[in-house]
Amino acid sequence: MKLRTSFQARIAGVLIMLLLIVVVAVFLAVKAATQDAVRKQAQAQLEVGTRVFEGLLEMRGKRLRDAVQLLSADFGFRDAVASADSATIRSVLLNHGARINANDMFLLGMDGTVLSSTVAQIPEGTPFPYIQALRDLRSKNQSMLIVPLQGQPHLLVDSTVMAPLPIARVVMGFSMDNDLAQELRSLSGLQVSFLSVVHRLPGQIISTQPEALFESLRGVMMSTSSDHMQMTEHQSQSFLSKTLRLGSISDSDSDVVALLQSPLDQAMQAFAPLDEKLFWITLVALAGSLIGTLLLARSVSLPVRELAQAAQRIGEGDYSTPVVLARSDELGLLAGAINSMQSGIAEREQQLAHNALHDGLTGLPNRALVMERLGSAIAAKRAVALLYLGIDNFRAINDSIGPEGVEQLLQIIGEQLLLPLRPGDTVARLSGNEFLLLVHNAGTDAAVAVADRLQRLLLKPQRIGEHDIAMDACIGIAVYPANGDSAAELLQRASIARQDAVQMPGRLQVYEDGRDLAHQRQISLIRDLRQAARNGELMLHYQPKLDIRNGRVRQAEALLRWQHPQFGNVSPAEFIVLAERTGSIQILTNWVIEESMRQLAEWARRGLHVQLSVNISADDLLGGDLPDRVSDLLKLYRVPAEQLIFEITESAVMREPEQSLNVLNRLRECGISLSVDDFGTGYSSLAHLKRLPVQELKIDQSFVRNLDETSEDAVIVRSTIEMSHNLGLKVVAEGVEYEHSLRLLERWHCDTAQGFLISRPLNAVAFEAWIAKSHTSPSLMVH
Amino acid sequence: MTHVLSSLLVTASVLFGAVASAATLTAEFVDGQGKPLTDAVLTLQGPAPKAEPALKADMDQRDQRFAPHVLAVRTGTQIKFPNSDNIRHQVYSFSTPKRFELRLYGGTPSDPVLFDKPGVVVLGCNIHDWMLGYVYVTDDPWFGVSDDKGTLTLDQLPAGHYSATLWHPLAPDMQPVSGGEFDIPASGLRQRFSVAVQPKGDDMPAAPPSSAFGDAFHKAAHE
Repeated sequence: MKLRTSFQARIAGVLIMLLLIVVVAVFLAVKAATQDAVRKQAQAQLEVGTRVFEGLLEMRGKRLRDAVQLLSADFGFRDAVASADSATIRSVLLNHGARINANDMFLLGMDGTVLSSTVAQIPEGTPFPYIQALRDLRSKNQSMLIVPLQGQPHLLVDSTVMAPLPIARVVMGFSMDNDLAQELRSLSGLQVSFLSVVHRLPGQIISTQPEALFESLRGVMMSTSSDHMQMTEHQSQSFLSKTLRLGSISDSDSDVVALLQSPLDQAMQAFAPLDEKLFWITLVALAGSLIGTLLLARSVSLPVRELAQAAQRIGEGDYSTPVVLARSDELGLLAGAINSMQSGIAEREQQLAHNALHDGLTGLPNRALVMERLGSAIAAKRAVALLYLGIDNFRAINDSIGPEGVEQLLQIIGEQLLLPLRPGDTVARLSGNEFLLLVHNAGTDAAVAVADRLQRLLLKPQRIGEHDIAMDACIGIAVYPANGDSAAELLQRASIARQDAVQMPGRLQVYEDGRDLAHQRQISLIRDLRQAARNGELMLHYQPKLDIRNGRVRQAEALLRWQHPQFGNVSPAEFIVLAERTGSIQILTNWVIEESMRQLAEWARRGLHVQLSVNISADDLLGGDLPDRVSDLLKLYRVPAEQLIFEITESAVMREPEQSLNVLNRLRECGISLSVDDFGTGYSSLAHLKRLPVQELKIDQSFVRNLDETSEDAVIVRSTIEMSHNLGLKVVAEGVEYEHSLRLLERWHCDTAQGFLISRPLNAVAFEAWIAKSHTSPSLMVH
Repeated sequence: MTHVLSSLLVTASVLFGAVASAATLTAEFVDGQGKPLTDAVLTLQGPAPKAEPALKADMDQRDQRFAPHVLAVRTGTQIKFPNSDNIRHQVYSFSTPKRFELRLYGGTPSDPVLFDKPGVVVLGCNIHDWMLGYVYVTDDPWFGVSDDKGTLTLDQLPAGHYSATLWHPLAPDMQPVSGGEFDIPASGLRQRFSVAVQPKGDDMPAAPPSSAFGDAFHKAAHE
């Protein structure tokens, strides 16, 4: 797991990094300290060694001088020297010089002339080159000279030959050879090198160092002028070096240089075991800390992983497996918290799931659950019937018993709906007054039987508070597989069937094929109706109304026509009902009123004055703004109010009588005439009509169409005309299609006739032409 | 080395006796700084030779020193080297006028040493390096060595004209210098000689200082 590795790696990384820093710091500190110690040690060694070296050299000088003095005091030697015989002197020099291992011997006169010499460079008779230095020795309290001689550094010591007064000076030279260097090295502990420089040219190097370093040593000895300490490297070996100028002559060209060196590498070597130990300690510490941090990280990351897995389980919906972590630390607390969170989530999720699938009020399954069950029945190809049930008189019930009573009632309904069902069937509540029943293994007949029983059950009055409530249930049925093979389709078709059932006397309807196509057309019409006015798809047709008494046409009814782009001419009977149902009727009414006025104004400009009837719906009466709007439009188009008649149905007025009456009165005040349309289809009485401010009454065409003297319709029409006249109302007969009908109406003193006999509805241009024609030959109109 | 020889000052008071009688020369020696100079040698060459019957002299060794420090003798003198110390000495000289060596001895050696050539003979002891003595061998008939006060008195001199030669161990290069010529009247002459001397060189080994051990040894030896 990434968490684990990264967490572990981070802890381990940080700790090891810290450890490394500490170790490196310690290592560097130790290294620096040891190096410092080594250098100081080497420095001290060099300083001490230098003093020892100088002391040794001085001591050696003294020893040699003493030896030479002793030698020069030898009687035989003095005798020989005093003999002044050159060969004798030479031999005695060689002889006595050999006694003290001198390399070169000279006998000088007191004036410094060489009397005898064993060195070819300094022949007899010449002045001895170092005579002055020798004379100065005593005053400087020194015992010897160090000079380059024959390319090698030499110690020169002298002694006066006393006989007993000074008669000569004997000088002995001792070459500073490898043995001396080795001896000085063993005593001083330093690497010792000598170099003689004559006329700035280096002579042979004498050193205790290996020969391979000579070249490099020579460079150091030639270049260094002062005798301070310095670090030198010779073939990758480090030394602390000090150069000493041993030469006694103040001649810068020639000199004897000694190089004393304290080897650093060797001293450093002494600390190598310490480094090694440090290395191992580091290694062990690193390994230990690595293991430790991995264990530590593991002890954290394993429980964390377990917790993460638990969280993942919870995320996947597993609420039953608790996380087990026997720890008392923060992780243990976290585990406990996760466990309680898990049980909390489980509880709430169960609640949510129930709420999601059930109706809160009745506790019945909701749409989602019943659809799911329907879906699974379909998936299992089990026959199933879907009953869509609505309570038709729900609104009235609501008004009488109030919301609380409704709640109680709904619960009772829920219980009752379950009665005719078998276990496994489902009752679901879809909305306020709609329920859906899912009946398994039921065909159409069984479903109808169930529906019938339900209706009867619901009709039984229920006592809610003070009221006995009987419910008028209206049921649509769709069955699988006959009416569809998807849950959505079945639901939709059951719903359509229920809507159809409303129209049925038994309030029960099984879905019929093709109903959904009609339903689709309705939906399209409802949708398009709202845009119809804007899209110019609406137009008015005008059906002339004949004044029966004088045989003239001065009136017409404006009838709305809709040219639908897809369905062509749509019957007003179809779309007006839809518009009323969906509430878009007001849009249509407004358009009709305005178009009528516009047309009236247009005709008025051409001298045509007609009184137009316009149909007003119930919704128009409920909205209180109709009178104002009409008044504004009248002013806008300058149309006299008398030219307008608003036709209203009985039922429209009946729905909200008070409100409607108010609107009608105000319209009347504007001067608009009012007419009751479709008289005879509703339940209104003439007494009721009396309260309305109407001037006209239109007898529904169903009474007029087949009017003859003997029919029942004749009685109704005739009595209606008489009663209307008694009430002071004019009467219009609609649907006049036959000549004899017109004659009967005339006889009964009906005021106005309208129908195909006079003219079918015409568009504005045709109507204008028709009027013009009827004026020229009015007889054609009447009969 | 430069040799500055100061002028010879003669402030003589000449004492004359009878012509036949002997005159006395009193010489005073001073060094360059005018201090009395001891161990200075004066030789005179006079009007007449002097007969010298027996030419013998002694150079004693006392307290590990030559006594006298400077001995002037006439050429051909036999010098004995008695040893007055209770230790032995080995007297030698490598000087050209007389090379000799007396093997380690005590008391007086049997044979005197003949100094037959004029010149300066430097004496040493082979076992005591600090012992230093001088024998000035001259052909001149009259000679003498100044005492501690730097004076020398020569008597029995015939009056007459003399030429003087001066020498001192510390004279430059140990060379004799002329003391000038002068007349010595019978009444005698008091002559002052100035001799340039060099400071004593460091070369000479000093006598070893007496040590506690040496003293104890000495004491034991004498009791």
